[in-house]
Amino acid sequence: MKQILIDPITRLEGHGKIHLFVKDDGELANCYFQVPELRGFEVFAIGRPVEEMARITTRICGVCPDAHHFAAAKAADAVYGVTIPSAARKLRELMYNAFYAGDHTTHFYALGGPDFVCGPDAPPAERNILGVVAKVGLDAGKAVIAQRAAGQRVIEIIGGKKVHPVTAIPGGNSKRVTKEEQQEIIKLGEQMVEFAKFTIKVLNDVVLANKGYVDLILSDMFTHKTYNMGLVDANGKTNFYDGKVRVTAPDGSRHAEYEPKDYLQYVAEHVEPYSYLKYPYLKKVGWKGFVDGMESGVYKATPLSRCNVADGMATPLAQAEYERMYETLTGDRTGKKPIHSTLATHWARVVELVFAAEATLQQAKNDEITSDKILNPPTGIVGEGVGIVEAPRGTLTHHYKTDQNGIVTEANLIVGTTNNNAPISMSIKKAAQGLIKKGVKVTDGMLNRIEMGFRAYDPCFGCATHTLLGEMPLEVIVHDAESGEVVQVVRRNF
Amino acid sequence: MKPLLVLCLGNDILTDDAFGSVVAKRLSRNNSGAFVEVIFAATAGFGLLDLLKDREAVLIIDAIITGKAKPGTVHFFPAGILTPSYNLINSHQINLPTALELGKQLGMAMPSDIQVVAVEAQDVETIGEQMTPPVKKAVETVLTAVKSWIDSKITERLQT
Repeated sequence: MKQILIDPITRLEGHGKIHLFVKDDGELANCYFQVPELRGFEVFAIGRPVEEMARITTRICGVCPDAHHFAAAKAADAVYGVTIPSAARKLRELMYNAFYAGDHTTHFYALGGPDFVCGPDAPPAERNILGVVAKVGLDAGKAVIAQRAAGQRVIEIIGGKKVHPVTAIPGGNSKRVTKEEQQEIIKLGEQMVEFAKFTIKVLNDVVLANKGYVDLILSDMFTHKTYNMGLVDANGKTNFYDGKVRVTAPDGSRHAEYEPKDYLQYVAEHVEPYSYLKYPYLKKVGWKGFVDGMESGVYKATPLSRCNVADGMATPLAQAEYERMYETLTGDRTGKKPIHSTLATHWARVVELVFAAEATLQQAKNDEITSDKILNPPTGIVGEGVGIVEAPRGTLTHHYKTDQNGIVTEANLIVGTTNNNAPISMSIKKAAQGLIKKGVKVTDGMLNRIEMGFRAYDPCFGCATHTLLGEMPLEVIVHDAESGEVVQVVRRNF
Repeated sequence: MKPLLVLCLGNDILTDDAFGSVVAKRLSRNNSGAFVEVIFAATAGFGLLDLLKDREAVLIIDAIITGKAKPGTVHFFPAGILTPSYNLINSHQINLPTALELGKQLGMAMPSDIQVVAVEAQDVETIGEQMTPPVKKAVETVLTAVKSWIDSKITERLQT
């Protein structure tokens, strides 16, 4: 048996590896994906005040600090048994939507987009944001930068700091928003909505107008019929900040809808002997291995999953885009029939980008956000709390137990990408199976199609904050597992 | 013209990744004057654009793992040797060269002179506030390197 190793040499050496086990006859026997996970969080958290977690956990991940901030803050609210004032809730939600608008922008234009805008077979040197700018225009590049800056400015106004927000504390927020700041957020929100419309146009002109891409999206190679998970509001619409966790089955029927505090009744974690990775699955369905279908507890938690579980989007443009996506890909605009095409996740991300922008503008116009009543100081303590938000890349759970002084005694996190560990492995396997055959040399374009299978999930592996040396020199080593002899080496970006 | 920039990158609660933060704190203690600015940033990619624009010369301090040197080894190299990122599968970011090129294309004034001083790290995966001993030891070496970089840049400026 041969092992093919796709090994992105990052600054965290040896991480983000793809292992492909290939039999002597060329058939792909197995496949798994190995990613780094930060160690020691639980030890680090124990003995610290729970209210500190909202500030500390933003630092464990440079990609979605805002998601950690609010998941931890909501868990701390629960630990102290306090309901935050309506104005504080609105401020948090507004800021979170602005964050989403920026984050989804980055993914669409810099990470996922290049595969479609430049093409999956474009030379790697062109398949990046520079290639997108070359194709869509310099103004698009400027708009991307402006959109990110707008999101960060809203975070700075409400969260106190641009990158690592600090203002969510048990019982509410620590910083008010002035009338002048409200006006500024409204202007930024208007800019975000315009950008969202522009993004729909890019998606139409560059991706959907190309039948080859639509066929690729719908192809079996990128299809997995799994369960889906996402937060929904009281009306069953997608919400990033709060709500109940809804899980639907591959056929679209409801599997569960539960309060965040009950998550352990629904989700369990499977461990494979070869990996330190955890594979969450639905407890009531059970772990049946890396397979899809109604009988397998594997679920996805992605932008597409959130669309699949929700009854729709709470804002008009996003709802229209949602309906168009379902109409195009399932023939049923209501969204009752789930989409199982992994690559459609990019489209769902655009739907969410539109929603995030519209919601930012809508919520900014609510005068309540300038209220003085933004804090209900805690008066007692419950000693345990769960906070769940939708991180851009999946449902994020923070769970703390504390002593009577609010000092953490136990901590558990399920981060966004972790939910998708099993489906990511399955996507890689399926893509690889379709490409790697006996006697066929592994080429750069093939590697990219395998990567596309998991890039759609927007996985965040390095919760380390930066990647100075650049991301992806790729090395694929094909070798005979028995003799260890190297059969083929494919390298790029060295 | 904006002052010289010593840009320290990293994560202050990720064991050896705290290197940049520690160096920034030490540098801030010795006031370098109006010529130099020291910034610690837990950011990358797009986030670097704002920090780099309108600067002429920048020194970046970071922790990296090349796997080709012993922990604590200090690497010196110009940022130009880093090739643009082509595949962004493991980080929700663009890398430094891509960010620089994007900035240039969008008409921002990007620094022409970027040097990198990076320490070979041992552990950047364990959440913790203490660096490993070999990496901790490298702080003094890097501080000396930063000082000589600042001196040489100031000399250059005075001569022109």
